Amino acid sequence: MATVSELYDVTWEEMRDKLRKWREENYRNSEQIVDVGEELINEHASKLGDDVWIIYEQVMIAALDCSRDDLAWTCLQELKRQFPDSHRVKRLAGMRLEALERYEDANKLYDSILQDDATNTAARKRKIAILKAQGKNTEAIRELNEYLEQFVGDQEAWHELSELYINEHDYAKAAFCLEELMMTNPHNHLYCEQYAEVKYTQGGLDNLELSRKYFAQALKLNNRNMRALFGLYMSASHIAASPKVSAKVKKDNVKYAAWAGAQINRAYQLAGRGTKENKCSVKAVEEMLESMQITMS
Amino acid sequence: MASSFWKGVVGVGLLALAHAAFSAAQHRSYMRLTEKENETLPIDIVLQTLLAFVVTCYGIVHIAGEFRDMDASSELKLKTFDTLRNHPSFYLFNHRGRLLFRPAEQEASTVPSAQALPSNPLRLRKLENFH
Repeated sequence: MATVSELYDVTWEEMRDKLRKWREENYRNSEQIVDVGEELINEHASKLGDDVWIIYEQVMIAALDCSRDDLAWTCLQELKRQFPDSHRVKRLAGMRLEALERYEDANKLYDSILQDDATNTAARKRKIAILKAQGKNTEAIRELNEYLEQFVGDQEAWHELSELYINEHDYAKAAFCLEELMMTNPHNHLYCEQYAEVKYTQGGLDNLELSRKYFAQALKLNNRNMRALFGLYMSASHIAASPKVSAKVKKDNVKYAAWAGAQINRAYQLAGRGTKENKCSVKAVEEMLESMQITMS
Repeated sequence: MASSFWKGVVGVGLLALAHAAFSAAQHRSYMRLTEKENETLPIDIVLQTLLAFVVTCYGIVHIAGEFRDMDASSELKLKTFDTLRNHPSFYLFNHRGRLLFRPAEQEASTVPSAQALPSNPLRLRKLENFH
């Protein structure tokens, strides 16, 4: 079977840099990671130096995703040999047990880590993940809340909590978690946009106005965010169609919706220029915008 | 390859700077010996110092790596929810990937029926975009 480097004509340095990029930006393309990482480990381990250990960790987690238990086991053995008493390696062993659905054993392992070191955040987060995997959402939410009371700055945990709340349809608390994230990352347009979507889902005139404002903020931070543009159009149309608003507010929102619609049209035209189907797709967008009639119940 | 050229430039600049410093020190001791304390530093030493400094700075800028935008939000324009939503500390493994990506040898032993899954049709996807 052809190796990755032959198929795509890349050197081992490029493969290592790709793996680093995937690691730093939280990509979960496990199949590709396993292919690239396995080849790096098997053929170029000596050239990697100290990088090889973190690549072992990355490949092990990806192997668990792809059900490559043999590869995961070899990576774990190598790491155990190099770092015999490490909590990080123990956590990886726990993750392997979780992948094999041996949740009791994994829990015991994490408890032993926490006995050794009560401040180990990774083990606590894995315990919460076990609760999530077993479907015990309410307990996971409770544990995560306790965790966040102690470790207030953990942004990953806040985002995870907001996702759990959204799954439970508790939008008010999800909005609170996203507010925390927006406070610490004011320049991130994605948090603004997700917050606006949660507010839009909650419904009600005040929430709609708030959602329109946050969609506008997301657009201000990143004018290429199509989802925020659509959100602006929908929330403005929704407010304009509501019977409870004054005439001035209605007029303003109709103007906002018209502007957003024009921007959407323009974006689709620009994206499709040079292709044969441009006219058809632009027409489809216009029809879609006209047909988005909001009826208030 | 290109970076070793710029490393050479920085090396040359630093050497020239050191040379100018030694020259200035030597000139100072010469002044002290001949008791002509009022002569200023010769202009070629001054010029060499300034030139070496400029060359070193220029070389270091080229070695230093990629520059980032000052605007904090412009780096995020390329980020999408695909990667933002992934929380590595909370990854779960009880998803259908455990069955879908099972290697071919295991499939042959477990599912002997006529309509067994074709050996990983998803593998074809890999060749398309290695981005």
